[in-house]
Amino acid sequence: MTDRAKLAINAFKEQIDGAVSAYFSSCVHCGLCAHACLFFNETGDPRYTPIHKLEPLRRVWWSEYTLFGKLASLIGLAPKVTDKLLADWQELTYNACSLCGRCSMVCPVGNDIAGMIRKQREGMVAAGYSPEGLQGASTRAVKIGSPMGVTWKAVSAQIGHVENDTGLAIPVDRQGADYMVLMSSMEIMNYPEYLEAVARIFNAADVSWTLSSEAFEATNSGIQIGSADIARELVSRVVNAAEKLGVKTVISPECGHAYTALRWEGPNLIGRPYKFKARHILEVLDDLRAAGKLKTEGFEDERMTFHDPCQLVRRGGVLEQPRRLVRMVVKDFVDMPDAGKMNWCCGAGGGVSAIEEAAELKLTAFNAKKRQLEAVKPEKLITACANCRIQLEEGLEENNMDIPVVGLTELLAEHLVETEKAEG
Amino acid sequence: MAEIQNDTAFRKALDGLDIDRQRKVGAMFVRAVLPLIADERVTAAVDAAERGASGDMLSAAFQGARRASIDWHTRCGAEGDWKEQAAYFVARAAAALVAPPAHVKSGNPAWQAAVNARMARTSLSIDGEAAATRENEAQYRILAGFLNA
Repeated sequence: MTDRAKLAINAFKEQIDGAVSAYFSSCVHCGLCAHACLFFNETGDPRYTPIHKLEPLRRVWWSEYTLFGKLASLIGLAPKVTDKLLADWQELTYNACSLCGRCSMVCPVGNDIAGMIRKQREGMVAAGYSPEGLQGASTRAVKIGSPMGVTWKAVSAQIGHVENDTGLAIPVDRQGADYMVLMSSMEIMNYPEYLEAVARIFNAADVSWTLSSEAFEATNSGIQIGSADIARELVSRVVNAAEKLGVKTVISPECGHAYTALRWEGPNLIGRPYKFKARHILEVLDDLRAAGKLKTEGFEDERMTFHDPCQLVRRGGVLEQPRRLVRMVVKDFVDMPDAGKMNWCCGAGGGVSAIEEAAELKLTAFNAKKRQLEAVKPEKLITACANCRIQLEEGLEENNMDIPVVGLTELLAEHLVETEKAEG
Repeated sequence: MAEIQNDTAFRKALDGLDIDRQRKVGAMFVRAVLPLIADERVTAAVDAAERGASGDMLSAAFQGARRASIDWHTRCGAEGDWKEQAAYFVARAAAALVAPPAHVKSGNPAWQAAVNARMARTSLSIDGEAAATRENEAQYRILAGFLNA
């Protein structure tokens, strides 16, 4: 056995807890997870059956933690975890899984298959069987503070741009603010309208908020590549900055996995509860709506639908908030078939978008979204994740579908009722 | 003699123009940052806006510019290059010029072109390869000249 395979096996063993053991031992091989998987459905490739993607982890569980597996190992009959197996499974574990969690929803015995893929990635990355794109993103996240290499200088430039365009002052490092706003690199680089929308909405709602010059980045490459050490380091930076500023709430931006990282995995990673709340921007906006602080005027003319980011709706439970917000400004709103907790992934989540070799597969996976859209024929598509947004734009373009895509926060800002007041 | 010194007056003046003139002055904003991208599809969109193209010509120009903006964006997780990002914003600005109404935020192609052209210039300044110029002030002068012509 090679050193790399040993590294993988040891990391797999660290990941195999009571839950994983129960999941593997209760799997009834029904195959329902296959039909819930975007990648299986759109390619018909049986290798993409979610439970099959877990073969390396399953082999370690069986040979190390079951009676028959141990006996088989003793006489050399247990299937082994080899370098070839790990190399073959790299594509299945990363390129062909967006960690969307749809498989976990349909499993009749309640196995969290997506959660196990996340665990398997820990072993893959420990042994060096992870995609180069994700390795680069993780390295930049640790060294520079952003998977796309965005520095505070770039954020400052964007702040200046927004301040010029809106006449509003963007608060930075404001001690004791109610909210600390995070952004994703995608928003900083590709969608600067997000920060402008937040600034205008919060100014109109008279919200006390701030950016932190020490932690502006919400995305967490550690979660995507499957390294708890990296994920912990990145979450810790946010936690330290938030606690130093004494903010009450940290807001995750329009980015799916950033929300999972901050809200659900974060406290477990650092081993203690936060001293602040962690919310998604849509949760905060919906609270402002309920409190009468988010006021809009007018309605969109077009028929519109909403793409639920998987990490938000399925893994995070943010289902009704976006719909309440959308209805503030859209009269002709229609949900796609399977919308909500069983929504189909855009195809680019879980780090897939960072993997260059997965470019063709993610566009094939988009066909599920294409069919959903064709069923309701919207004139405009709303979402709440910058990564979903770029995948939707690419997929629509590839399929010659003329449907503009817009972020929900940005859409609300377009209808915002703004009154003259002191700048915030 | 029109004089524009801030964005409030700038937007008000742009909103007062009909769509053809919005596209024409918007094309002037994009033309100012066009050297930041080498993409024929983007140049074609600016040309189409300048000459007041309509119908199929406008639609083809939009499709080309939109495809260019998608091609020039930075993929999630990829290492960002602000020079390429400047090109992306120029492509977005050009696409806004020739876009059908549903694709244009705020309904004003000239304003969208102006904002994206500013972001293009800002992007270029991030890597320190050029000083951040006051693109908004340059645009005020362009618009004043356009209105006074």
